[in-house]
Amino acid sequence: MGTIIETNNLRAYYITKAYGVERTVKAVDDITLRIQEGEVYGIAGESGCGKSTLLRILLGAYQPPLTVVGGEVIYHLEGETMNAADMTEEQQRDMKWRTISYIPQGSMHVLNPVRRIRDTFHDFISAHRDVTKKESFQLTADYLRDLGLPEKVMASYPHQLSGGMRQRVTIALATILWPKLIFADEPTTALDVVVQRGVIQMLKDVQQKEGSTLVLITHDIGVHANLADRIGILYAGKLVEEADTKTILENPRHPYTRYLIESLPSLDSREERLAIPGRPPALDRPPSGCRFHERCPLAQEVCKTIEPALIEIEPKHFTACHVVEEELSRGGEHVYA
Amino acid sequence: MNLLRTYILPRILQWALVIFVGISATFLIPRLSPRNPVDEMIGRMTAFASIDPHAVVSMRESATALFGLDGTLFDQYIRFWGRLLQGDLGVSFGNFPRKVSDIIAAGLPWSVGLLTTTIIISWTIGVFLGALAGYFHNRRWSQFLERFVVVVYPVPYLITALVLFIIFGAWLQIFPIMGGSRGEPALTWKYISTVLYFGFLPALSIVIGAIAFRFIMAKALTTTEIANDYVQYAELAAVPKRKIILFYVARNTMLPQVTDLALAFGAIFEGALITEILFAYPGLGFVLYNAIYNADYNIIMGIALLSIVGVATAMLIIDLLYPVLDPRVRLR
Repeated sequence: MGTIIETNNLRAYYITKAYGVERTVKAVDDITLRIQEGEVYGIAGESGCGKSTLLRILLGAYQPPLTVVGGEVIYHLEGETMNAADMTEEQQRDMKWRTISYIPQGSMHVLNPVRRIRDTFHDFISAHRDVTKKESFQLTADYLRDLGLPEKVMASYPHQLSGGMRQRVTIALATILWPKLIFADEPTTALDVVVQRGVIQMLKDVQQKEGSTLVLITHDIGVHANLADRIGILYAGKLVEEADTKTILENPRHPYTRYLIESLPSLDSREERLAIPGRPPALDRPPSGCRFHERCPLAQEVCKTIEPALIEIEPKHFTACHVVEEELSRGGEHVYA
Repeated sequence: MNLLRTYILPRILQWALVIFVGISATFLIPRLSPRNPVDEMIGRMTAFASIDPHAVVSMRESATALFGLDGTLFDQYIRFWGRLLQGDLGVSFGNFPRKVSDIIAAGLPWSVGLLTTTIIISWTIGVFLGALAGYFHNRRWSQFLERFVVVVYPVPYLITALVLFIIFGAWLQIFPIMGGSRGEPALTWKYISTVLYFGFLPALSIVIGAIAFRFIMAKALTTTEIANDYVQYAELAAVPKRKIILFYVARNTMLPQVTDLALAFGAIFEGALITEILFAYPGLGFVLYNAIYNADYNIIMGIALLSIVGVATAMLIIDLLYPVLDPRVRLR
C-alpha cells in the first residue's frame, strides 16, 4: 500500500483586494500530509481552522480568491503520479467522480429540487461513463439496494426525503462510480445522533467494499473515533498533531489536542467539561510563533516568537510543540500529568 | 377525482369570483365619473346646429334608454348582466350605432397578432441570453452584452419607438408609418406579407425593450441560481455544462419567468397603447385610446372586461400548471 495523495509544504491563501486594501487570509499554511491507500484519514479542528479550505485544495476545486501560493499536491492514482499544478482542466474534470469524489457538507441543498433522484444519478453517471438512461437507472437501483436504501427514493424528488435519507442518497451519488479516493466534508453534521449512526455505518460499508481511501473532515471527534484510522489535528491553518486514532484519543501530546479530547463528554464521569479558553485566531493576522500560544496554558517565551516544527515524537506520532520537544530532550516526564 | 375537487375546482371558483368582482367594478367606475355620455352626445349634435328643445328632451330620453342609463343603479346593474350574458356589450357612444362587440372584434386580431409574436420572441431570446450571460458571467461577451442592455433598458419606450419611427419610417422610408396592412384581407401571401411588413416596426419597438427587461430578469435569477449548492455540486462532478445550464440553472428559474409570461399573455387584450397610437396600428390599444378620448364607456368597459377575463384566465392556467413546473408545489 502506497501513498495515494500527498501535499508538500502546501500554502493556500485567500487573497482579496477591496478599495486598494489587500487582505490575505492564511487558511492553509505549510501543511505536509501523506494519505495512504485504503485508509480512513480524519482531519479535525475547530470551525475556521482551514479544514474545508484544505479539502478544496486537495479536490482541486477552488477558484480565486483562494490561491495556492506555495507547495504542491501530488496524486498517485491508477499507477500514475500527477502534480495537481501540472494537470489540465480536462484531466481534472476527467478525474472527478471516476477516481476522486466528494461528499459535501450539508446535503440539504446538493440535490436539484426539481429533478428526480434517478435523473440526477443519470446526470452524474453519464458525465463519466457512456451509458443509456436505462443502464444508469439499473446501476443506481442495484447500488441503492446494496446500501440498503429503499427503491422508492429513485422516483422521489429531494424534498420528499428526510434529512438523513438525503445524506445517504448523496453519499450514494458521490460513490456510485467506486472512486478510489473519497473526500467527505462534515458528512454527519446537522443530523440527529440516530441518523448519524446510520450514515457512519454506510460510509464504513462504502469504504470497505472497494477498499477506497476516505478523507473525513469533521469537528466531531466522536465520528473520527468511529471511522478514522489516523487523525490529523488542524489549528489555525497548521497541522499541529498527527497519529493513529488510538494514540490521538489516548495519548494526545499537543496541548490543543488535549483540550479537544478532554472536552468530550464521557459516560462515566458527570463533571463539567472544560472549554478551550479564548477563540481561534483570525487568519489574516495569525499570532507570531506558535499559533496556539495565546490560548495555551503551557506557553513559554519561545512559543511567542519561534514557530515549532512538526517532529516525530514516537513512531508515526507527529506533533508541533516546543514544550513537548523540550520535555523529550530532557528525556523525561510529561509536563502535565 | 380528488385532484379535481381539492385543487382544480376551488381555483375555477376563485377565477369566476375574480371575474365577477372585476366586471362589477368596471360597471360601477364609469358611473361614478362626472362625465355624462348622453350630454356629450347631445353636445356633439347641437354644437354646430340649433335643435328644437323638445326634440332635445326626447332625444335625451331615448339615448338614456339606449345606453342603459335609465332607472336606479341597481336596475341598470341587473340589465347590464342580463345583456352581458347574452354577449351584448351595447353600442358605441362615439361611433353610434356600431356595436361594441363589432368594434372590439375588428381590433382584436391586430393586437393579439402583434403582441403574441412580440411576447414569444422577446421572452425566448431574453430568457436564453440572460441565462447564458448569467452562467458565463465572467466572460467578456456576457459583460459587454450586459452593459449594452443596461444602457438600452432605461430608455423610455416612447423614445425607442419614436427613434425607430423617425429613422426607418420617416427618414429612410423603408417601413410604412401607419396602418396594419394593405389591400383586401385574404389568406394569400401577398396580403400576409403586407401584414408582416406593416407590423415590423411596431413589433421591433416593443421587442427591444421587452428583451432588455427579460434579459435583466433572467440574468439576475441565474446569478443567484448558480450559487446554489446543487449547481456547484454538479459542476464539481463535471456534469456537462449544457445539462447544468438547462436542467440545473434554467429549470429552476422557470417559475417566476413562466408566471410573468402568462401575465403578459393575459394583458394582450389591453392592446399596446402607445405603439398602436404612434404607428396608427388598428389594434385594441388604438380603439381604447379613441374611446377614452370620447368618453365612450361601453367600449372602455368592453375592453376592460376582456382584459379582466384574460388576466384571470392566465392566472388560472398558470396556477393549474404550477405543480407540473415545480414538484415542491403540493396539490392541495
